Amino acid sequence: MSDTFILDRNHLPYWLRQLRKERKLIGPMRKKSGDIVYEEVSNIHEIELNCPAILPPVKEFFFPATEAMLRFKKGNVNDNIMGTPAVIFGLRSCDVSALNLVDRFFGGDIKDRYYTKKRENTLLVSVGCNMPDPTCFCMSMGTGPFLHKGYDIQLTDLGDRYFVEARSGRAKNIMNKFRHLFGKPSKADYEDQYEAVHLSQTYFEKRINLEGARNAIVSGAVHDDFWRSVTARCFECGGCVYECPLCTCFNVIDRKYDGTVERARVWDTCMFKGFTRMTGGVLPNRDRIRRTKRWYYHKIVYGPEQIGTFGCVGCGRCTITCPGVIDMATVGMKLSKGVDNS
Amino acid sequence: MDKIYTICPYCGCGCGLYLHTTGNRVTGVSPSRSHPVNRGTLCVKGWNSHEFINHPDRIAWPVRKTDRGLVRTSWEDALDITASKLSSIAGEYGPDSIGVLSSAKCSNEENYLMMKFARAVIGTNNVDHCARLCHSSTVGGLSGAFGSGAMTNSITEIDEARTLFVIGSNTTEQHPMIGMHMLKAVDRGATLIVADPRRTQIAEFAQIHLRHRSGTDVALLNSIMNVIILEGLVDIDFVKRRTENFGGLMNVVNYYTPPVGARITGVPAEAIKKAARIFATQQRSMLFYSMGITQHITGVDNVRSCANLIMLTGHIGQPYSGLNPLRGQNNVQGACDMGALPEFYSGYQKVSDPASRRKFRRAWGTKVPDKPGMALTDMIDAIGKGRIRALYIMGENPLMSDPDLTQVREAFRSLDFLVVQDIFISDTAGMADIVLPAASFAEKDGTYTNTERRVQKADRALRPYGEALPDWQIICRLANRMGYPMSYNGTYEIMEEIALLTPSYGGILHHRLDENSGLQWPCPDMNHTGTPYLHRKKFARGLGDFIPVEFLPPAEQVDDDYPMLLTTGRMYFHYHTGTMCRRTSTLEREEPECFVEINPSDGKRLCIRSGQPVNITSRRGGLEVKAMITEKTPEGTVFVPFHFREAAANILTNPACDPEVRIPEFKVCAVKVEPVAGKKTTRKPEEVDISKFWIERE
Amino acid sequence: MKRVNIYTPFRAEIKEIEKKTADVNLYRIALPKRIKYSPGQFFMVSVWGAGEVPISITSHSAFSDGLELCVRKAGFVTSLIYNAEEGTDIWLRGPYGNGFPLDIAGNSDIVLIAGGIGMAPLRPLIYEFTNRNKKYGNVKLVYGSKYPDDVIFRDEIEVYKQMGAKVIVSVDRKNGEWDGNVGFVTDFLGSIKADMVSAVAYVCGPEIMIKNVTRDLSLMGMPHEKIITTLEAHMKCGVGKCGHCYAGCKYICTDGPVFSYKEIREYQLMQAWEDNK
Ligand SMILES: Cc1cc2nc3c(=O)[nH]c(=O)nc-3n(C[C@H](O)[C@H](O)[C@H](O)COP(=O)(O)OP(=O)(O)OC[C@H]3O[C@@H](n4cnc5c(N)ncnc54)[C@H](O)[C@@H]3O)c2cc1C
Ligand code: SF4
Ligand code: SF4
Ligand code: FES
Repeated sequence: MSDTFILDRNHLPYWLRQLRKERKLIGPMRKKSGDIVYEEVSNIHEIELNCPAILPPVKEFFFPATEAMLRFKKGNVNDNIMGTPAVIFGLRSCDVSALNLVDRFFGGDIKDRYYTKKRENTLLVSVGCNMPDPTCFCMSMGTGPFLHKGYDIQLTDLGDRYFVEARSGRAKNIMNKFRHLFGKPSKADYEDQYEAVHLSQTYFEKRINLEGARNAIVSGAVHDDFWRSVTARCFECGGCVYECPLCTCFNVIDRKYDGTVERARVWDTCMFKGFTRMTGGVLPNRDRIRRTKRWYYHKIVYGPEQIGTFGCVGCGRCTITCPGVIDMATVGMKLSKGVDNS
Repeated sequence: MDKIYTICPYCGCGCGLYLHTTGNRVTGVSPSRSHPVNRGTLCVKGWNSHEFINHPDRIAWPVRKTDRGLVRTSWEDALDITASKLSSIAGEYGPDSIGVLSSAKCSNEENYLMMKFARAVIGTNNVDHCARLCHSSTVGGLSGAFGSGAMTNSITEIDEARTLFVIGSNTTEQHPMIGMHMLKAVDRGATLIVADPRRTQIAEFAQIHLRHRSGTDVALLNSIMNVIILEGLVDIDFVKRRTENFGGLMNVVNYYTPPVGARITGVPAEAIKKAARIFATQQRSMLFYSMGITQHITGVDNVRSCANLIMLTGHIGQPYSGLNPLRGQNNVQGACDMGALPEFYSGYQKVSDPASRRKFRRAWGTKVPDKPGMALTDMIDAIGKGRIRALYIMGENPLMSDPDLTQVREAFRSLDFLVVQDIFISDTAGMADIVLPAASFAEKDGTYTNTERRVQKADRALRPYGEALPDWQIICRLANRMGYPMSYNGTYEIMEEIALLTPSYGGILHHRLDENSGLQWPCPDMNHTGTPYLHRKKFARGLGDFIPVEFLPPAEQVDDDYPMLLTTGRMYFHYHTGTMCRRTSTLEREEPECFVEINPSDGKRLCIRSGQPVNITSRRGGLEVKAMITEKTPEGTVFVPFHFREAAANILTNPACDPEVRIPEFKVCAVKVEPVAGKKTTRKPEEVDISKFWIERE
Repeated sequence: MKRVNIYTPFRAEIKEIEKKTADVNLYRIALPKRIKYSPGQFFMVSVWGAGEVPISITSHSAFSDGLELCVRKAGFVTSLIYNAEEGTDIWLRGPYGNGFPLDIAGNSDIVLIAGGIGMAPLRPLIYEFTNRNKKYGNVKLVYGSKYPDDVIFRDEIEVYKQMGAKVIVSVDRKNGEWDGNVGFVTDFLGSIKADMVSAVAYVCGPEIMIKNVTRDLSLMGMPHEKIITTLEAHMKCGVGKCGHCYAGCKYICTDGPVFSYKEIREYQLMQAWEDNK
């Protein structure tokens, strides 16, 4: 069960400032150009909570686009595992759900310490979405707009105050330190909170039935012609994978700087034919349609088979970033509505 | 992690993106959602534009050529040698014996300084840049017809257009984010007409694909205009009120009836008629063109034909309709605007105009040369003839990008002095006497003008690599050493000078560019909010001029010895001479090898299978590449990308130039293609071994 | 327990290099500590500054105190390994992968079918199955190469025979001296004298050969779960994280590289290859 509190809106900056004393504070900040990005917070009052989905997802704080892994110098190897304590404030429910899945992937029996170390040291303070974006479909995926479990701290915006839920052990410990800031929620607070949760559901413009999409694929109703028409619009930019909070493929490259070799990993995507190229020029996924299929099959078909959930949390980032408009929502919708194969 | 706003260093779309930095390293990239062009998307090059910045091949310090190879030296030494060499050559042979190549990759401020350097410090108008090789025809052709040579509309207007006519542009691959807007328009019901010999990706979405023979664009356009005139689809009011010399056009176009057009271009007469009717009758029709129009000996003629078509149908001077040359490099528009051209000062003020000369003479406090200088292609010729003795090159790689490389290389050897300012040891820098290390786009601030005339500001994300300096600082230091004081506290001061001297940039200052993704020129004063579309109410020159043109065949025709047409171009994953993209692991992995596209029926006839090595030979040279059999390329034509130094397509190309603007004919030359006997596969060539350049490494 | 970084390789020493063919070398490597590995597993071999490549284990841990790897010069990293000298360091991670299933062999006949460098991962199996302490059935080996010069373990064939294996060696095309068999391995499947229905087959070689051999074996009546093969894929991490080797819902590096023909068909593991005909 989670501990519940109430926080006066005016006390939020104070609380964040206290949190920042011990950890790096990362939150949504507005840039001069008008974009909002996750960045280290310099001025707490400039944090933007009313913002559309932010590109890229917070996975980059745990799994950066380029990360030096190993340094080799004079016969010695050093690993570059880092994890400065941090708190990410203002992320969304879908982001938290996505991190929980990625935790399972990078954690587990074979641990990727580059990821887990950073993750262990980071506290997530998410804010439920009273007003989802037109691109969002987390409700269809059960990953938002509010979470019932799997979060550290979740805030619900009740106008003049926040309804605060602390769920994980470390979150509860941290909350204990700030008892003086938080009040006990009254019955009215609970009711207001439920109303926010309840109302938010009415604002969704998109409902995507990935289960239906999956059934369509598995039952063989989707022919290659459908995938061909999808693929024809692909720009091979890789954006869908770079922006997806669940996609974690990487390439490993070696670079020689005077006397030191640096082995780094960089984000990679299965949308590229070189991703599976083998020596002698053999390309197991030369046809572009195979690569498009691979991504959708992995997320829609194999996900449920292997880990029990879809490889999508409905954050809508691929909808924003796909120049060809062949994102999960668009394609998922088409698939579930029944594909016209002609 | 910090996120710093900048502009993508690759193509002319000018997408806004954030560089993510940790320490003095770039760790990633993300698109800007509010940017009007890319709106949260990026193409593969943009997504990977961070990797080359920290590449170990970056030049970290100035180097000097000795008989032991290139050797590290100090800035003092490198600049002293350069200054004294340039001064002594100018003294001995006259300032016109020095050529200056500016760069479409550098910022407006740097291009402005470079042209100032050429004119005020050295005293020559021999300043040019690679726009000569891509869009000089546009500048030449459109300044005649309209009085201003730039994209007339904004990219966002594409969404709302009803007809898109794309000729000689592989938009989804070369200007992907403009391609995105085109797809959006098509999704909304717009009609797309593509004229391209190759079956490009954008052609897959076209309702009408006109596959004309390479080099027959004038005939195709004249034929379309013939239909429009004969069928009475001309916008008569527009022609009467806003243009002149319609009669002249009629006389020429009369001949190009659809059957004649069909005979020359190979496009069925019916298709020509259909395209003409759609383009003329729809409102909101936009015409786009790119290198397929400009890189011909008839480049200017091609551009004029496009302009004629647009004026004939009245599709200009309104939002959502106009003539849109898609410029290649991230700042090629800016480099032209800044006057890195032999005949213009900034803002296309003519060097030959005494009033402009007076203005710049007074501002710069020194006398300026009056004779227009040499174009890039002419400079290369002039080196061979001994009329150019030294070249100062900033961020360009002519030893890969110019036609007939064997000749160019020969010419470069005979230079007395070559100084190159670059971020990598390119083929050109490899031949230089002095190489000056420059800061990359992430390591300096400045403004860049994208193809829709949008002047945008990029911020500095990193300290320069090693001892590298931003190009503008290098130019200033060099000028100071040569006795012409140049000092600016920052790029914003240079921008102030530009605004003062350039009417179309009059209101463009750094502090105005932070919001709303910059300003579109013309922006004459501080209250002006920029111009989304051009030629409203009247053309820049007053009345639009119909300049009729006759069809002329390409300089080189196929014959028995060289029976195939070669056309060259870019591909999606690489960019120009490859100095940046080929140092980016993802891009290089996608296309590690050069190839030649051959139509299946030619493949069958020549007994060539996909993946087999073939020899391509032209009158100028030959190379061995891998064959790729594809329907994309029509019969009788082959296509080779020009990014690969180990199989440089420009060894083959013809240096014949357009007589007016001296743009070479990259798009057509005659070749023969033969399978390489006895070999089954091509091996990936050896890695570019930069280390051999460094004899002394600290 | 000390937390280990799965991406950090350890140092080992190349003790001996044996030139096998024009482009294949066998490396005898001294390991810094005893590492248990089994046939069919692989190591990630690092060349600093160039990259890491997966290389199958060619030795059997019970018969060799170090590690043997057999590397064909194929591209960038493998060329650098090829140029390495005796006594130099080599950096390894592993062993990775599931390895060959041995228990399914029972006491039935064992058929090993190798093509080219595919002999490398099968070599430890010969040692395993001809080992008299264990009760396995008869061992038959069909070993095909392109040319006579490419028969990597030509010198060891006599040894295999002495150990009790029946060996058929063939080449696709003849050049120079060769009085042995000529033809593709598929041409010799019929000459294997074994009860195919109860036998177990281990197949390794180029992908086209795997395709043909597995198809033929199944036509000869072998149950699909008893046709075992090892697959190749572009690999970067070897530990199921980088995603490169993912094919039809399996990670070749951790779920494989050894799969039965049944699994290959069920999970469509080789479907992605199909357009390479
Ligand atoms: C499980 C397994 C076992 C193998 N065992 C052996 C062996 O015992 N002996 C042997 O000679 N070869 C073996 N290979 C093949 C060997 O890994 C490739 O030849 C090698 O990766 C080529 O790398 P390169 O850098 O030389 O080639 P390049 O063409 O320069 O490759 C570039 C990169 O692509 C990747 N790559 C390309 N081809 C392959 C491939 N076939 N497999 C995996 N990654 C690839 C690598 O990451 C490599 O760094 C095995 C491959 C696998 C998957
Ligand atoms: S597939 Fe698209 S919507 Fe789903 S989680 Fe990934 S980016 Fe978000
Ligand atoms: S974002 Fe869209 S266009 Fe880009 S690779 Fe993904 S599917 Fe293709
Ligand atoms: S090799 Fe990285 S996931 Fe298999």
